[in-house]
Amino acid sequence: MSKQLDLLQGTLDMLILKAISLSPLHGYGILLRIQQISNKRLEIQQGSLYPALYRLEHHGWITSEWGESENNRRARYYRLTSTGKRQLQAETERWNEMTAVIAGILQATPEQL
Amino acid sequence: MSWWTRVRSWTKSTVRSTRMERDMDEEMRFHVEAHATELMKRGMTREKALRQARLEFGGLETAKAQCRDAVGVSFLETLMQDLRHSVRGMLRTPVFALTAVIVLALGIGATTAIFSVVDAVLLRPLAYRDSGRLVTILMSGTGPVSVANYIDWRDQSRSFSTMGAADYWSPNLTGVDSPEHITGLKVTQNLFPMLGIEPMLGRLFLEGEDKDGADREVILSHRLWQRRFSSDPAVLGKPIVLDGNAFVIVGVMPPEFQFAPFWATKAELWVPNAFGARIHSRGGNSLRIFARLKDGVSLTQARAEIASITARLEQQFPGTNRNVVVTPLKEKVVGSIETPLLVLLAAVGFVLLITCANVAHMLLARAATRQKEIAVRAALGARRGRLIRQFLTESILLGGVGGALGLLLAVLGTRALIALSPANIPRVQTVSIDAHAALFLLAATILTSVGFGLVPALQASSVNVNDTLKEGGRGGTEGVQRNRLRSLLVVSEFALALMLLIGAGLMIRTFAALEAVDPGFNPHHVISMIVSVAGSKEAEPGRREFFYRQLIERVRSLPGVEAAGAINHLPLAGDLWGWSFLVEGRPKPRPGEAPKAVYRMVTPGYFAAMRLPIVRGHDITDADNITAPGVVIINEQAARQYWPGEDPIGKRVSFDDDTTNPTNWLTVIGIAKDAKQDNWTDKATPEAYLAAFQNHDYIGDSGTEASKHMDYITLVARSVGDPAALASEMKQAAWSFDRNLAISQVVTMDGVVAEANAQPRFEMMLLSIFAAVALVLAAVGIYGMISYSASQRTHEIGVRMSLGATRGDVLLLVVRQGIWLAVAGSAAGLTGSLLLSRLMGGLLYGVKPTDPVTFAAVAFGLAVVAMLACYIPARRAMRVDPMAALRYE
Repeated sequence: MSKQLDLLQGTLDMLILKAISLSPLHGYGILLRIQQISNKRLEIQQGSLYPALYRLEHHGWITSEWGESENNRRARYYRLTSTGKRQLQAETERWNEMTAVIAGILQATPEQL
Repeated sequence: MSWWTRVRSWTKSTVRSTRMERDMDEEMRFHVEAHATELMKRGMTREKALRQARLEFGGLETAKAQCRDAVGVSFLETLMQDLRHSVRGMLRTPVFALTAVIVLALGIGATTAIFSVVDAVLLRPLAYRDSGRLVTILMSGTGPVSVANYIDWRDQSRSFSTMGAADYWSPNLTGVDSPEHITGLKVTQNLFPMLGIEPMLGRLFLEGEDKDGADREVILSHRLWQRRFSSDPAVLGKPIVLDGNAFVIVGVMPPEFQFAPFWATKAELWVPNAFGARIHSRGGNSLRIFARLKDGVSLTQARAEIASITARLEQQFPGTNRNVVVTPLKEKVVGSIETPLLVLLAAVGFVLLITCANVAHMLLARAATRQKEIAVRAALGARRGRLIRQFLTESILLGGVGGALGLLLAVLGTRALIALSPANIPRVQTVSIDAHAALFLLAATILTSVGFGLVPALQASSVNVNDTLKEGGRGGTEGVQRNRLRSLLVVSEFALALMLLIGAGLMIRTFAALEAVDPGFNPHHVISMIVSVAGSKEAEPGRREFFYRQLIERVRSLPGVEAAGAINHLPLAGDLWGWSFLVEGRPKPRPGEAPKAVYRMVTPGYFAAMRLPIVRGHDITDADNITAPGVVIINEQAARQYWPGEDPIGKRVSFDDDTTNPTNWLTVIGIAKDAKQDNWTDKATPEAYLAAFQNHDYIGDSGTEASKHMDYITLVARSVGDPAALASEMKQAAWSFDRNLAISQVVTMDGVVAEANAQPRFEMMLLSIFAAVALVLAAVGIYGMISYSASQRTHEIGVRMSLGATRGDVLLLVVRQGIWLAVAGSAAGLTGSLLLSRLMGGLLYGVKPTDPVTFAAVAFGLAVVAMLACYIPARRAMRVDPMAALRYE
């Protein structure tokens, strides 16, 4: 396992939206899903997950309902709303554009100038 | 995100905030436990796993707070926090909080109470449909109009959609237990539809009901319906007897309805006005004309049209259409009361300004002492906006509490004002704290709160954290600029208070001058009542004189009665009839130049009952009856004016143009002292007292039209004790002759005099209340300013004293500052008063608007108050122990 990376400012929301776009998840599940996909290379402050969830719900991008967890405990499951889907798409596009631009700059060589 | 989601989320989190707390708890606990379970699978003990899980999760409470922030609970939370902080702060400085709240309550309460009166009387339009289009058409703007003129104007004019007329009519309501003289109006059928008023019960008059013979319907006022018919909803169709004729009740008006808007403001019933033979009459003016301007017609156009119509009629019928004036109804109604109310409104504004200035500089002073607290909070990361918000919360809390108390004061104050106000202020009955006044209160509160909250908040929040904290334990010394601002506030307070005090002082001097006026008679211990014979068996011509004489005799014999007599119209309270007369032996005067006198009819005993002295000659006696030669008593003014250098006694005058009839000649037998007639402040005009029992009209056997309107006397009795106690015995004395006698206007002469002066007294009272409030506020202001700055200078004073300053020096040091403020304020206030007090000219009597006595007395009085306000903190400063003050460093 390589060294863990600190999460870039403002990207947590996007990751959460992506994580639950695959299937509804509870808070802990979201954490596991992100770690699993990223091969545990991202360091996520567990406590910061919840304010982000509440913020997203407040924006109307996700909704929640209480359900049963894998080991039969009451857990709160989050699900993407249709506006959340659009938001995720928009943010993904913006992210891709941004990384492409930044990557382009970082790969610039003297010859290109 | 739509506003709807935002609102929904916010309400959800607010309304169900306990549920949200529960959810957060459970959710986060689930997270920690799930993570712990995971860790246990890797072989940790449960205890260790839980600890590890909690550690990795991070601060639970921080996370929760951030969640709450995320959904915006923070707004309410912050508000609650600020409120808690503010309340705690206020409780820590109760004197400040209490003073501020009292200042605000006084200011807002007094302002709102007066505003309610001004609003109801002046600002709110007359309660008729589109009342701005209603006008009156009167001779010289005030006098009544003849029937023939009304009909011509109505038929010839094109500027008005409707023109209606009303006649004063006060019938006796008989055929009931206690007959009563009621004020009413005879109105043309089109008048109520013109006003756009619907009856509460029944209907208005129908077309044709103002024709002769059809005019037997009556519409009741809400009050009369309640008072005489116990609010009986089945009253429609019932008969009532007015002046001996049967009328049918067809409608009841709504409670807020009032008509007429000026002269007969107490009208309680309306009947159709059938003109009969009067349609050809251009004399006998009695109608008041009301009209509604046609759409698109301006007042100027209507005036021009009436001017041309009346000019034409004047040519045709000389002397009947001169000076006909069209006046907007509102101007007519409000006109006389406008100046006093505007003066009061200005006073309201002043008090509100003083209130704001006062609280603002209290808050400024407080903010200065709190600089350290603010600096600490800023150093700990409070943003500027957050600090301003805290300050605003504090001032709005003060404003809210002050406003609530003020509302209470306003409710009580309005009630007191209604109770104390003279009856002749139009629409004063409709005064109440209603939506208008509540809005005003709200606006006043918010403006005051934000106004006085914002300045200190901005100032305090721009505190330089480093400087303030560096100064260590001493607390900040305030900047020159802020001191100047506070001085300016105190000076303006002082100036405003001085102006109010001068206004009140002028009114007090006016009132004193009014009280000192000699009415000629002695109004104390006198009671009077009108006894009307209309509709009773005493109305018969052969019975009237006998009945009047017997009634006066019976009243005279009542225990506690010293003297009794009667007059047709009581001075200051009743109607006023003027008449021209001829003097025997003088050439016939040219038209319009004949001597004129106010003309009253009295019975023997009247002068004794009123204690109106006969200065020369003698009183009318019982022997002066219908068969005896006619006699008359004139007043001093008539003697001076019409018999200069002569003795009028023994001379003969005639009030009738027919001088060939010897019974028309009256011999002057006495001269009475000048007495007040109509207005308390009028100069004496010639007056003649005729013997009532020598007058055929009065005793009812002349058969003329005039005699029909002279079917009542005003009994006047002088009592040994309280005159009001005689009222019921006098009524019973009258009713012992006939149960159908209508009795009205039972008043004491003291009451009549009080009523005559009610308006200036009311104005004086209101202005005095304002001035007192202003004085208290200004004193509090200067006291607060001086004591604060003295306490800030404790250290300086200590140094001075240790260097040898005496207590006297210290006293002077502190007081000097206050004196400068007072002098500057007085100068500004005196200048303002010189400019403004002339606006009050119309309210004053016997005193000039720039009365030097008032100006000097007020300035001196205010200076004394200022000295006192300075002296208290100065004395405290004097007692400063230099050692303690320096050690304090």
